[in-house]
Amino acid sequence: MFGPKVKIEPALYESLKKAAQAVGCSSVDEFIINILEKAAAETERVESEEEVRKRLQGLGYIE
Amino acid sequence: MITVVSGLPRSGTSLLMQMLEAGGLPLQFDGARRADVHNLRGYYEDRRVMSLAADHSWLAEADGMGLKVVSLLLYDLPSHLEYRVIFMRRDMEEILRSQDKMLADTAPEQVGADIRRHFEKHLEELAKWLPQQDHIQWMELEFRSVIEAPLEAAGRVAEFLQQELDLEAMAAVIEPSLYRQRVE
Repeated sequence: MFGPKVKIEPALYESLKKAAQAVGCSSVDEFIINILEKAAAETERVESEEEVRKRLQGLGYIE
Repeated sequence: MITVVSGLPRSGTSLLMQMLEAGGLPLQFDGARRADVHNLRGYYEDRRVMSLAADHSWLAEADGMGLKVVSLLLYDLPSHLEYRVIFMRRDMEEILRSQDKMLADTAPEQVGADIRRHFEKHLEELAKWLPQQDHIQWMELEFRSVIEAPLEAAGRVAEFLQQELDLEAMAAVIEPSLYRQRVE
């Protein structure tokens, strides 16, 4: 895969490599991508919830 | 068992509360939010719902009754009680148009805000969360189907609630003239 690359410290890479093996991931890349996808989805969920909260406050449905 | 009427604002939750009242289900609401041009027959809300996360000590009072809980606050329903949730669904464009009309009076700076994707994400999250809750049984009810076939919708609601409700009276609540933001 030729996409954007992210530089990380070798020590962190080794740590992630061990973690990936521990959970049975076939590669460190796959492991990291899974983590990043989950983090991005959670960020999106929190952002949406905050926007919905503001809207409901504006409409007088929540305090 | 508490009957919870839920959905996004302007999805028909007040209308369903009116139907349940007409059908004979006792309702829990305080009348603090008065009827206005946006909800001519009232909002049927209990302001204590807004602070459920902080205090739900009163909620057991609503056992056997109907209670309106806006979608985002479903997460705050304590799990030691049981609920049958009727979740109103309505065309998103109609919801947004109707909300913008209300916002013009309550929060004009929010009129026209890009909220659609956030509502869609919120509904997506709820659709994943609701089936995982052992204390909640739920059904969805489409606003348009209530307007177009009220007797059938009333029957579905009564069946879900396992209650003897006056279906004719529930259907008689519907006035298609109040369907003001229809998208064809």
